Amino acid sequence: MKRIALLFLALISLAGTAQSATRPRYGGTLRVAVQSAPTALELPAYSSPTDYWEMAGILSLVADTLVTIGATGRPQPALAVYWQHDSTARHWQFTLRPGIKFHDGTAAVAAVAQILAALHPDWNVRAASASPSPDLLVIETENPSPSLLAELALPRNLILTHNSAAIPIGTGPFRVAEFQPGKSLKLAASEDAWSGRPFVDFIEIEFGKSLRDQSLALEVGRLDIVEAIPQPAASSRIRTSSSLPIELMALVFSSNSKAQDPRLRDALALSIDRKPIQSVLLKGAAEPAASILPNWMTGYSAAFPTQPNLQQAKALLVDSHPPALTLSYDARDPQSQLIAERIALNAREAGITLQVSLSGPEDLRLVRIALPTPDPALALLEAARELYLPAPALRGNSVEDLYQAERALLSNNAVIPLFHLPVATAAGPRVRRWAPDQLGSLNLQEIWLEDSR
Amino acid sequence: MSFRQKLLLLFAATVLTCVVVMAVSVYSTMRASFEQANLDRANSIAAEFRSEFQRRADDVVRKVDAIAAGETVQRIALELNRSVAPAEGAAPNSSGYPSEARALASQQQLDFLELVDHQGTILSSAQWQAKFGYPEPAIASSTAPAGAFLKREDLPNGPTLGLFAIRSVPIGEQPLFVIGGERLDQGFLSRLDIPAGTRVLLYQNLDTKWNPQSLLDLNGPAAGADRIAPLVEKVRSSGQEAQSAIHWSSDSADAEVFHAIPLFGSDQHSSDQPGPNQQLMGVLLVASSRRPLIELQRRIVSTALFVGGIGILVAVLASLWFAARVTRPVVSLAEAARRVAAGDLAAKVDVESSDELGELAASFNRMTEDLLREKDRAVQAERVAAWRELARRLAHELKNPLFPLQVTVENLLRAKQKSPEIFEEVFSESTATLLAEINNLKTIVGRFSEFSKMPQPQRRPVRVNELVLSVLRVFQAQLTANNRIHVRTELAPDLPEISADPDLLHRALSNLVLNAIDAMPQGGELTLRTAALDGASAQGATPDRVVISVSDTGSGLTPEACARLFTPYYTTKQHGTGLGLAIVQSVVSDHGGKISVESTKENGSTFHIELPCSAPQSSQAAAED
Repeated sequence: MKRIALLFLALISLAGTAQSATRPRYGGTLRVAVQSAPTALELPAYSSPTDYWEMAGILSLVADTLVTIGATGRPQPALAVYWQHDSTARHWQFTLRPGIKFHDGTAAVAAVAQILAALHPDWNVRAASASPSPDLLVIETENPSPSLLAELALPRNLILTHNSAAIPIGTGPFRVAEFQPGKSLKLAASEDAWSGRPFVDFIEIEFGKSLRDQSLALEVGRLDIVEAIPQPAASSRIRTSSSLPIELMALVFSSNSKAQDPRLRDALALSIDRKPIQSVLLKGAAEPAASILPNWMTGYSAAFPTQPNLQQAKALLVDSHPPALTLSYDARDPQSQLIAERIALNAREAGITLQVSLSGPEDLRLVRIALPTPDPALALLEAARELYLPAPALRGNSVEDLYQAERALLSNNAVIPLFHLPVATAAGPRVRRWAPDQLGSLNLQEIWLEDSR
Repeated sequence: MSFRQKLLLLFAATVLTCVVVMAVSVYSTMRASFEQANLDRANSIAAEFRSEFQRRADDVVRKVDAIAAGETVQRIALELNRSVAPAEGAAPNSSGYPSEARALASQQQLDFLELVDHQGTILSSAQWQAKFGYPEPAIASSTAPAGAFLKREDLPNGPTLGLFAIRSVPIGEQPLFVIGGERLDQGFLSRLDIPAGTRVLLYQNLDTKWNPQSLLDLNGPAAGADRIAPLVEKVRSSGQEAQSAIHWSSDSADAEVFHAIPLFGSDQHSSDQPGPNQQLMGVLLVASSRRPLIELQRRIVSTALFVGGIGILVAVLASLWFAARVTRPVVSLAEAARRVAAGDLAAKVDVESSDELGELAASFNRMTEDLLREKDRAVQAERVAAWRELARRLAHELKNPLFPLQVTVENLLRAKQKSPEIFEEVFSESTATLLAEINNLKTIVGRFSEFSKMPQPQRRPVRVNELVLSVLRVFQAQLTANNRIHVRTELAPDLPEISADPDLLHRALSNLVLNAIDAMPQGGELTLRTAALDGASAQGATPDRVVISVSDTGSGLTPEACARLFTPYYTTKQHGTGLGLAIVQSVVSDHGGKISVESTKENGSTFHIELPCSAPQSSQAAAED
């Protein structure tokens, strides 16, 4: 009898918990920390992926794009609720969400065309004022633009303006309440957001906090959302989430590199054993890669072999005396140095001297770049630009065309792809309804806090 | 060189030799002592290094033991044994511990630490974190050496040398190895207690060839490594200790003496024979500066030179004083001897010392006194002899005329008494005889009177050749009377005029010519020569003397006759007075000249008269007076 009573009490308790978990609460301040320490709320043009993702995530809370694209590649309405294009994909027409306003109360619809026209001078962007509906937007491009929606979904195409203090003003669920350059940012919930008021009242973002400090602060409950190295959570109260591999780690030869011999570059590529790096240094989270685009995006990355071949590498270097090369890395990335040293160790096995150094002229650099869109064609284009490669020559929209373009891009041995990496985040026990998507977006507007009022 | 100078030189040379010998002896002894001290110091540092080496080795072993016994390593060993054991030969599970070794090494302050599985695969490396999954050659067998050993360790920036220890963690069937160590480099050297003037270098024998970058001092790669290379190469090739002096500049004080000590390690790379296969891992170089030695040597040398110089100066001064003191009696003796030699027998030596020189001086004084007495005695004897000779001559000269006088007077008396008839005849004959003998007596007396009244020369310029020819003209008739004597003249053409009394010289030459004629009663050859002599023998010098030689081919003179020839009243003739040559000598002497004779029996005689061209000061003054 007593046992039945206890079971009944437990069921009541669980029911209460379940009821409280499914009923979001408004209020509270979400505490977030990031590694970067921006002095301006602007998207970095060429930066480390960490900075890029962090600023993209912040600005995405303040502003919106016309459309968004999920991991499936399917566009979703945002500021635009409907769109269509002609058969050549040169003429696009968007129907904007009616009545949306910036946080300062000004109408956003009228500003969209102006903002996009400023971002893309080569486009013909205009509001279709002659049309019956005032919310129509026309975009015309010189060349066919089948990836226009993916382009518009990029963070750089967020529709936002700036006030006199260079604070961004957008249409997103949060507005900037306080910004201390390089130190912190406080976002306040926008009551009039078209997507609805977020649950939390404020989001406090602390800048310049190392991963280790973030992890410790999360452990002791001083932070709610942090970045994380992909690995199992140390505590069951802390949840981690990894995105799809949306970053590329690669070796990029500098233009004045001493390694101009294609055989040397091939030998280096063949000497790198990616598996131990993936399993030990990257904790198994990364995918060894010899292609720029990840397999989830293209499906053909197996066509680019990643297995090392030391004998072939040595054979390529027979009767040659390769010069000692300097390999640099991103000092802000805690994993980069070890990975660079491991690559140097692999290279030494093949007879190639790689000196890992942050000083002096570099012959090649270990880089990590963001692949900011799930659209493979646009991702390849963006990656080529980030890696100082020539623009890929895409003949069509097929996978075969993409493969040929990527193969051609890698044929000049300027880049040795190494890994595709996910973006990992961790959330503390206070955080509820935490559902970061597969492309790394934190979706903080959906979060509510356990101990809020 | 005088006796005093010789004595001074001898004293100085003796002192200098003593100083040099002493300095060389001290320098050699000092140098040997310093060399030995350097060697002792190098050995001391080498011993200290070995002691420090052993202490650090024990420290490394203790730290590795602590790590092996620590919770982290035990946990890893347990996890490795618990995990699904891969099939033999399969790839080892090296994931999950890339940073463990670094954390453990940091805790124990080790430079090197590797966790290695039973297959020799690195699980975690502190010194090269990226080296996981690679084989560790030090794990060559299941038995790890108990102590520490030297080992080459490859690092991202190149190989280095370390002092290592290996411990196994025997949990389960697959032991985990812990290999920890400390870097053997300049940091290790900095912990050595190095005395002043000494430095320690370490050559890490990591390459097959000499690598100057592997020679380390306290600040990293050592400067001037190439100068040390031969010594290191010698140790590398021989494996034995070696020593060499290296001069860094022309200043010998900058030189250093290097003592090279080989450092061996266990050849863990040899998997066939693990153990004490000695491999040269490094060379310890203990360098002792020669500056203290050289500077001390220089100080000693400079001091020795200063003291030696002062000593030599003092010795010279002392030698001067001593030589003067020693030679003063000798100089007095020499001066006195010179005076005695000059005829001053009254010379005395004033020496009061009681040593041999004093005795010598006293003997000298006695000798001069004796000589003076003997001279006086001889003078008196000679004077008596001269008087006797004079008396004998007078008696002899006077006796000859007196005897006819006596006979004549007795004839007159006898004629008066016995034959008055012939008295008148006898008287007139006797009277003539008496007058003749009286004249003879007067002649004798006149000669003696003339000799006693030799006049002083009245000088005027005289051409000697003309004088000689005038003398020959006087004897022309006598010489050509019966053609018995042939006259030959050899007169110098450019004979200078001399200052002389022509009458006296004519008389002297006439005596010599007359003596020559007397010496050749059977005939012969009379030769008269003139010649000019100069004081210096150099050609072209102005003649200052004239020689007149008179030679005959008569019977010659004995040496005894030559010695006494110029003594007054000595004659070799039957009727000579013995005053002729005395007069000649007197004339020549009055002119400041000298006369000599050369004669051998049966080969004739030659008389040489050497006269100065100008009158001597004393005789000139006397002439003017």
